[in-house]
Amino acid sequence: MTTISREEFILKELKFAFNDKILESRIAAPRYVYVTVNKETVIPLVKFLKENFGLRHIVTITGTDFGEYIELIYHLAIYGRTLMVNVKTKVPKDDPEIESIVKLLPGATLYEREVHDLLGVVFTGHPNLERLILPDDWPEGVYPLRKDWKMEGM
Amino acid sequence: MVSIIGWSRIRSPWILYMCTGACNACDIEVLAALTPRFDVERFGILLKGSPRHADVLVVTGAVTRQVAPRLKRIYEQMPNPKFVIAAGTCATSGGVYWGCYNVLGGIDKVIPVDVYIPGCPVHPQAVIQGVAKLLAKLQEAK
Amino acid sequence: MSIYKIPVGPQHPAIKEAFQFNFELDGEIIVNVKPRLGFVHRGIEKGMELRSWVQGIYLSERICGICNVPHTTCYCIAVEKLHDVDVPKRAQYLRIIINELNRIHSHLLWLGVLGMELGFLTFYMYVWRDRERVMDLVELISGNRVTPSMNFIGGVVYDITPKMEMAIKKGMDYLEERTKYYKSVVLNEPTIKVRTENIGVLNKSAATDLCAVGPVARASDLKTDVRFDDPYSSYDEIPFNLVTYSYCDVFARVLVRVDEVLESINIIRECLDKLPSGPIMKKLKRTPPPGEFTVRVEAPRGELMYYVKSDGKENPYRVKIRTPTLANIPAVCEMLKGYHIADIPAIIASIDPCYCCTERMLFIDKARNKRWIWSHSQLRKYSLEWYENGGRR
Repeated sequence: MTTISREEFILKELKFAFNDKILESRIAAPRYVYVTVNKETVIPLVKFLKENFGLRHIVTITGTDFGEYIELIYHLAIYGRTLMVNVKTKVPKDDPEIESIVKLLPGATLYEREVHDLLGVVFTGHPNLERLILPDDWPEGVYPLRKDWKMEGM
Repeated sequence: MVSIIGWSRIRSPWILYMCTGACNACDIEVLAALTPRFDVERFGILLKGSPRHADVLVVTGAVTRQVAPRLKRIYEQMPNPKFVIAAGTCATSGGVYWGCYNVLGGIDKVIPVDVYIPGCPVHPQAVIQGVAKLLAKLQEAK
Repeated sequence: MSIYKIPVGPQHPAIKEAFQFNFELDGEIIVNVKPRLGFVHRGIEKGMELRSWVQGIYLSERICGICNVPHTTCYCIAVEKLHDVDVPKRAQYLRIIINELNRIHSHLLWLGVLGMELGFLTFYMYVWRDRERVMDLVELISGNRVTPSMNFIGGVVYDITPKMEMAIKKGMDYLEERTKYYKSVVLNEPTIKVRTENIGVLNKSAATDLCAVGPVARASDLKTDVRFDDPYSSYDEIPFNLVTYSYCDVFARVLVRVDEVLESINIIRECLDKLPSGPIMKKLKRTPPPGEFTVRVEAPRGELMYYVKSDGKENPYRVKIRTPTLANIPAVCEMLKGYHIADIPAIIASIDPCYCCTERMLFIDKARNKRWIWSHSQLRKYSLEWYENGGRR
């Protein structure tokens, strides 16, 4: 009987549960897997990991500007925080909205605020999407981590 | 009378310390200057908590936008005569953060500076030397 | 119900993330806490995109001057993974040694600061005097007391000679003796116990849900440490213990950190005994190939994560950093609820936010239409007097 690694097992289970909603997946290294899904699949996937793999810990949410879209990566840790499942998804830049995961993972509250502050992504359903780290006098609607924003005078 | 005040000011400058958006390395080295190994208190230097009691403001950090008005306010609250020491490369010129969007650069963009102490982070002995240079400056001004 | 606003500016020594807290009170008991960060936000992630890969090491080192070694370690490992190489074994062991030296210095620094917050200045002075021994060892290896800049993409820059090994071993013997003494002080000194026992309790379930990391999580009985969960740089070859306590209060966080210093001392000794010979650096191309990687390391304050993306160019396309203090902020907001104002300095200090960060407190008493302002030293004085006059008796 062949044994499969934990990383292969988790990807197999995800593919079985979500079929072609898993757009891409790969094992980057021991203890690190990446899966790519549409933005509507993020919440069901997080719920699935919570119910079946003991997911309670989110490390952070990374936002990257790729011009026409903003890529979000939810860095989740399962199996007692020993295996990282990095869930990638895209939101269009002209309408950067996605449902908040705070109800499932309360620890994500500040990470969503940070992505909102620096990239302008709106997390619908977040209890308090206020400014987190930019100064009070920073102009509204200006997102410094977007590639089209350059600092003047430097 | 004036010379007695001047003499006592030189003998025991009271310091107010402020961090304006640094990485903390300079901050802990300035604090280390107060601990037994370097012991800057033997020169009569005391760390105070309020701007109204201080003669010398020691500032570290490249000034972030959020903190700049605060720095100015603290400086204005200090009674005259007052002196400012910029401790560390970031306080002098912005250091490694030069070009980062939330950083204004050295503290002399906000308040006037009397002594600059370079270093990343500044060595406690350099802090002592910086304070000694300031005292010498006060002595000359007397 | 009066509302306290604590506008925080780092007028108190050393703060990584100075934050503003808005407290809602019922009488003198804290009911709700809302954080506002940003005083030390420098725009480093954007800065990294404007600098080369190598310049990024020095910028990452200055994100936090106190735990600068884990930052450079994490960044270098991430870039090395993009190159798809493992650095030589000797370099990995040297990385462990410098990381653990950094952990010892950070925890001792924190212990002294906790003493300062509790009004125990003698303790603070003693601990910081002994901490100088660690600074001497770091200076011996690298020439700089605080930021050794030892990590580079491909390995480490400085090697340890046999003479340095002797000095480090002697230093470890001295520090072990002193740390055991401080542990006995912490366990027996009533000043510390009355201010930390059953204060700032964060139970295990709350710590899990709020994703607490580091000593804060381990003091709430969560067995999590990146060195065990996701070993990097040959940590899986060095046997050591995962320190946890189940009291869930500030006292437990003190004990976790003190015990971790003792564990770090043993780790350094093991590494020196097992130090393999060989090169300390693998020469790599200046620009990594396109790709992305996520790496976690255990900084003194907890789990530190770097995500790095390369598109084959000279500058990184994206570097995302998540520092451990940010992860602990929801936890500290929860820990403060139900406690007295006098406990604020100890509870905030217990998550080790590099330093306690309250500057001025604006008190607004809506019922009596009064406003008044306190400085941090006034809050600390209030705390000390409140406890001297009987506290919660």
